[in-house]
Amino acid sequence: MIDFEFRKQVMDYHMGSNIIKYCYQCSRCTDYCPVSKVTKDFYGTTGYDPRHNILNALLGYKEAIFSSDPLTIWGCTVCDTCDELCPQNIELTEIFTFLKNESITKGEGPDYLYSQAKAIFENAKAIPSQSAIERRRQQLGLPAVATPNVKEIQTLLRNIGSDKKLKEE
Amino acid sequence: MTEYKMFEGCTIGNRIPFVEAASRKVFEILNIQTSQAPFSCCPDPTGMKSFDNNAWLTIGARNLSLAEEEDKNIISLCNGCTNTLRGVKHQLKHDSSRKEKVNAELAKIGKEYKGSIDVRHFVDVLKEKSDDIKNAITKQLSNLKVACHPGCHYMRPSEWMESDDPMHPTTLKEIVTISGANIVDYGVEALCCGSAVHNAYEEHGLQILKEKLDAVKKSGADVICVNCPACFQQFDTLQRNVSKKFEKEYNIPILYLTELLALAMGITPDEIGLKFHRIRLKSVIEKLEL
Ligand code: SF4
Ligand code: SF4
Repeated sequence: MIDFEFRKQVMDYHMGSNIIKYCYQCSRCTDYCPVSKVTKDFYGTTGYDPRHNILNALLGYKEAIFSSDPLTIWGCTVCDTCDELCPQNIELTEIFTFLKNESITKGEGPDYLYSQAKAIFENAKAIPSQSAIERRRQQLGLPAVATPNVKEIQTLLRNIGSDKKLKEE
Repeated sequence: MTEYKMFEGCTIGNRIPFVEAASRKVFEILNIQTSQAPFSCCPDPTGMKSFDNNAWLTIGARNLSLAEEEDKNIISLCNGCTNTLRGVKHQLKHDSSRKEKVNAELAKIGKEYKGSIDVRHFVDVLKEKSDDIKNAITKQLSNLKVACHPGCHYMRPSEWMESDDPMHPTTLKEIVTISGANIVDYGVEALCCGSAVHNAYEEHGLQILKEKLDAVKKSGADVICVNCPACFQQFDTLQRNVSKKFEKEYNIPILYLTELLALAMGITPDEIGLKFHRIRLKSVIEKLEL
């Protein structure tokens, strides 16, 4: 089923993301994608495929993207090779960012991302400081890491509504 | 003298601080001056950006505003942080409605993003200091064969990283060459280390890493030189997992660019905590007679 609203969201998502319509399915993105290389079978019918994602996003086949194996969206390792090599200058990873953000909102993203966002919400750092590392910094003659303002980060995330996407562990 | 705001990032600051120690020592020798600021997480261009692009933009813009308040450029020790901070700048420069929204949020905490400062990857700053590096080398590393891995986010997307050739990078190799070390070409230099996908699909991350390690091993390199903490962690901590999974021995030591330069500038392995690497550097230290 074609979801026109979803199509519009894709086209409007990012500055210039409407150039997705110039995709002519040359498959350069998939041919050079390191994850496609290690996940596709001989005939290329299974595994991670950025070209498929672009096609489905362009046509508005929302279900084909969101109702299948999460690998469809989350296989991407964000190496930005496809952005670089697409002959039509489509910024694939920005469109994939939109798909990933949608998947997170549905609660269907990989666990580590919810944990990372939680760590940032609680500590303003993806990797919080630990006493063992603080001691090691001292031994190495390093200054203490400047303490970030956690409250400001929490205010920002709450006001944006990002905190609502967090999961209880 | 230009002073930069140091952006060491979560991974280096709070997990592998020995990389920061080497970097600060090298910066000191090269007269690259830095000062601290209470930066938060950049946040992660493969993590938080995938979680919520608006949150990524806003937190990134807040960090930039801290450096703007002091009118100083940022020097970053990490590909990911550089990619985020430059990417945020890029989006906000070209999308005025997003910039307005972000600034409306920042105003609630008394901050404003202007877009007035630059974000530099330390590799690009070092490149400008080639002559100073040359003069500071006291120990030629001519015995050492080095495979360079600059990492995706140092040079891609080229549209906003504006650093090196996105598919055929040369800067890291040029700097390593100044140390007297020999560069080995292993063919898949621009290939990803597999870090982001490893977090969600361990198997696929390890497969990509294996492709990289196989090529390096075949090239006969003594060491892999990196300029990103995520890549460093991938190579240094996961090499054993690759060995185990594929039943093949990998034991290639890793050096951060600033660690390699520190050794060439006469700094001892102890001073920069090389013993904290997972993959032992014994072979390298013996080869260099340190
Ligand atoms: S490389 Fe670009 S034009 Fe070719 S299939 Fe992929 S997105 Fe479409
Ligand atoms: S950015 Fe993602 S889709 Fe594009 S080549 Fe890299 S892993 Fe593949």
